[in-house]
Amino acid sequence: MRTKDRTVVHNLGLEACGGGANMVAADVLDGRLVRIRPMRFDGDYTEEELNYWRLTGRDGITFEPGMKTPTPNFPLTYKRRTYSRNRVPFPMRRVDWDPEGERNPQNRGTSKYVRISWDEACRLIASEIRRVHEEYGPYSILCQADGHGESKAVHCCHGCQTRLLDLCGGYTVQARNPDSWEGWYWGAKHAWGMDPVGQNTLSTNTAQDIAQHADAMLYWGCDLETNTSAWGGQLASRLAYWFDDCGVKHIAIAPDCNYTAVVHADKWLPVLPNTDAALQLAIAYVWMTEGTYEKDYLETHAIGFDWFEYYVLGNEDGVAKTPEWAEPICGIPAYKIKALARYWARHNVSIAHCNGGSFIRSAFATEPARLEVYLMAMQGIGMPGRTTIKFIEWTLFGMASCSPLPPSKVAPSTAACFNGWVIGSNPDHTIAKCHVHKALRGERLSWYGHGTAANDRPDQFVKLEFPVGDNGPVKMLWSDNPAFSTSLNGGSEYLDALRSENLECYVVQVPWFEDDARFADIVLPITTKFESADFGTDADSGQWNAVIYEEQAIEPVGEARTDWEAVQSVARALEAYGGIYENLWERLTGGKDTETQVREGYEACGIPEAERDWDAFKERKYQLIPTVEGWQDQRVGLSGFYENPEVFPLTTPTGKIEFYATGLADHFPDDAFRGPVAHWIEAGDGHDDRLSSERAQKYPFLVESNHPRWRVHAEFDDVEWFREIETCKVIGPDGYAYEPVWLNPVDAARLGIESGDVVSVFNERGSVLGGARVTERVRPSVVYVDHGANSDIIVPGIGGLDRGGDINLICPTATTSGNASGEVTSGYLAGVEKVDVFELARRYPEQFARGANRGGAGGDVRDYLEGEE
Amino acid sequence: MKTILVDLDRCNGCFNCQLACKDEHCGNDWRPIAAPQPTTGQFWCRVDQRERGRVPVVKVAYTPTFCGMCDDAPCLAAATDGAVYRRDDGLIVIDPEKARGQRAIAEACPLGMVYWNEELEAPQKCTGCAHLLDDGWAEPRCVDACATGALRYVDADEAADELAGAEGADELAGLGTHVLYLHKPRRFVAGTVADRTVNEVVIGAAVTVRDEAGAVAAELVTDEFGDFYHEGLDEARYRVSIEAAGYEPVELVADCTERDVVFDDVLLKRPRA
Repeated sequence: MRTKDRTVVHNLGLEACGGGANMVAADVLDGRLVRIRPMRFDGDYTEEELNYWRLTGRDGITFEPGMKTPTPNFPLTYKRRTYSRNRVPFPMRRVDWDPEGERNPQNRGTSKYVRISWDEACRLIASEIRRVHEEYGPYSILCQADGHGESKAVHCCHGCQTRLLDLCGGYTVQARNPDSWEGWYWGAKHAWGMDPVGQNTLSTNTAQDIAQHADAMLYWGCDLETNTSAWGGQLASRLAYWFDDCGVKHIAIAPDCNYTAVVHADKWLPVLPNTDAALQLAIAYVWMTEGTYEKDYLETHAIGFDWFEYYVLGNEDGVAKTPEWAEPICGIPAYKIKALARYWARHNVSIAHCNGGSFIRSAFATEPARLEVYLMAMQGIGMPGRTTIKFIEWTLFGMASCSPLPPSKVAPSTAACFNGWVIGSNPDHTIAKCHVHKALRGERLSWYGHGTAANDRPDQFVKLEFPVGDNGPVKMLWSDNPAFSTSLNGGSEYLDALRSENLECYVVQVPWFEDDARFADIVLPITTKFESADFGTDADSGQWNAVIYEEQAIEPVGEARTDWEAVQSVARALEAYGGIYENLWERLTGGKDTETQVREGYEACGIPEAERDWDAFKERKYQLIPTVEGWQDQRVGLSGFYENPEVFPLTTPTGKIEFYATGLADHFPDDAFRGPVAHWIEAGDGHDDRLSSERAQKYPFLVESNHPRWRVHAEFDDVEWFREIETCKVIGPDGYAYEPVWLNPVDAARLGIESGDVVSVFNERGSVLGGARVTERVRPSVVYVDHGANSDIIVPGIGGLDRGGDINLICPTATTSGNASGEVTSGYLAGVEKVDVFELARRYPEQFARGANRGGAGGDVRDYLEGEE
Repeated sequence: MKTILVDLDRCNGCFNCQLACKDEHCGNDWRPIAAPQPTTGQFWCRVDQRERGRVPVVKVAYTPTFCGMCDDAPCLAAATDGAVYRRDDGLIVIDPEKARGQRAIAEACPLGMVYWNEELEAPQKCTGCAHLLDDGWAEPRCVDACATGALRYVDADEAADELAGAEGADELAGLGTHVLYLHKPRRFVAGTVADRTVNEVVIGAAVTVRDEAGAVAAELVTDEFGDFYHEGLDEARYRVSIEAAGYEPVELVADCTERDVVFDDVLLKRPRA
């Protein structure tokens, strides 16, 4: 039987921004994708050629990469994503948006769409660009050109429009924020450097060190089984099993018993959301009062410990940060806090992270991030078995030292053929992402730090403003990532901003008609991964980095074009105006076709010339990069700093761990919310979200929102194969597939809620419907909702109602703290109540009719089209 | 004949096996081995999940579930006209044409692994990816997609030692299933012992688990966190006694018949003077 015609190789990581991971093989039969599967290297490479590695832990237990890619679940469903019923089928215009007449911005999100041709769409966009240029200037066009998405280079999914606009006067861009590690970025960097990330970027060979020397690892808000599915894949899971096998006690600390804890954990400490700082302070208190910390190490490796000690012992505010003090705040009994502190002081303990969650994406997340560094310092970080480790992003920003596993010789780059926005570029006209709604409303704003994930610590002291000088406000938004309201802070407020009178034109180019795309004036249909050729990389999977000759597997679905082609089409249309638009297409592309660009990408990817062979690369379709020679001898993580901090300093101003952050002291000495020394912050800077707050009378739950199990942010929510998994959706009494809302049985019983009930999660910012899942996997007083469920807006904006379960609609708009522009998307207050969904359907018949005949299936673009079946 | 050997201690609940199966069969037509599977609703490979315990000791038991290709297959027995047949390699395949209208085939499986396709009016199930094996594959999609080694496709002869300790699905007992499990979960009891008057956990407390007849099922000692945990109990009632020097002994009932037992934190008392 013919089971395929041919096989292509692609990465299916969702890094975007020129990165790549999750290399897979895809078989094609009769012009359609027939299957997507892991790659096997053993037919193509020998272990010798790859400089195959083996790590050895306690009792001689080994760990090795294997010769098959550790493919996670997302790639296996990509056929459904490719052929989704929610693909944008053709260019569309909002039916009541008329650039010659009424623009009706107030109807964004409620009015429907009509089909238009590519020619008409490009003429409209070109005409709007020219109009905005003439009336307001180039910086009034804001490009939303970052975030996650398919990992492509030539046909990059984010930022092709910036290349075009750069050639005709410039543009404004929203900063690509460190959206999964806000607290480390805005906080931990001031304690231990580690630019630009703030998490441990000195992780070389730490996996083996942990397996040999650590007695326990604190998986602090760490869900490696969930958060790796869009990038690194399942080597992370195998690594965690190896640590288990080597006897490293797995202690999970999180409000929810997450997908990692339920299979790996030896112990779970269910801390209340965004109260980790209290727990950490109490641990420090035990060590200080019992003298069980590395005093000599602090003398030589840290500065300002006395400030911290003064605060913890209660000398500053009269409140000693005892375990008894912490217990009512963090929800962990004092006796358990003491036991943890004493265990930690007696053993080699490391900390594991995998981004996301309340620990690092809440208000004042700078504080737990810094306190973690303090605690690790108090126990001599860099000593064998005492470090922090990440299970994700192992070559972030091309830094091989981010990986705890033996690195490949080269972290390949796609830069030479990358047509997207380069993170950190266009710095003079950048808006910190978390403030973008203000710019959409036409406001003047100022803030500190560009806030892209790539900026180093000192950038946080730079005051910025928008608009710059005499430039005009934002008047046009050109987005290739219309998922702000599902992924960032203050979703409802953002939707209101999209509907503001100030925003005259909103163009979206995207493969799927999801979320904010439904507010656009013009929508362009974009291809997905297998519909174009490209140059790919895989540098986050932990085995061997790879470059990939990605062939087009199938014809574009519907009228889709790649992002790069779509922007070229607009360039052609702009040429009609001459002047600054003259010869724009040629200037944009250099006349190069995809194959030429792919070849240029390969030749400049970083693999030495002697090891490149273009013909062999095309023939095999991928090339693995062997493990670096002598990896065994590379210095373990922070061991250099431990042994001699003068020779191996950190990148803080003093080169040491700064309990007292000298940079913050210089620039923000009076900041009560991110001061020089990390503190417990009860409320302030727009946040009043503690169970002890007045607001908790009305909104008595803390929302915990981790990265989603069955999506990457807002993507994949239309995949039926996920939606039928028990933990993915809850089918309500009306047959609609609701986003699960986890409640502990104690809380559910009190509220009269049972599994399967439709509930509202609400606060001042609006209400989001979900399906109750009564479960022991979440502690009492917490309501758990994954972020990123595709919105299904019933009433848009602040005070509105969403049926899709997009919890970010009701998270705060205020940032981490006043001077730290990080998103706050977890650890805030909300109420929960059972709703009568049939009554709601009577009140909003048109909105509730959407998808009524599709059972549990997700969105369908046809629900939003006029005159289409 | 090959066996799918499932190590439940290595199943992380990623659902790769269930998803890869759907990738292979939904919308793909492998007749005469298999007609297309509907996009949703059928699970030729199905990952079952069950939450265990309660705050703060909670686990999820994931169980990848497959057609057992049983030696004494009820689906085969229920079929007429040769609609279900066993191949030379042992795989049991439903003929998509001959099985049309034979609902009894779908109803025969005690594990519910045969599905009825309303549109085709035919029963459908796992084929063991026979079409791929015939095309040179070494193992079916589900096993190929497993990243942790939880699923292995083994020769009964070569893996005899491991298979000796493995068990089939309870529902297929006595039928000769060729899907076997290592490390099936057993009931557990768990708790933390503390002294609330001084806010300290009690380390080194002796915890004895006895069955209803009084026989000792487990002897434990609380660890540095004051915790005790024991898995390996039957679906039965137990008595758990906790003794620590200087405290009054405590005896608790652990009813494991329906579920695992996690005690509220056990707060010991000093004896009255």
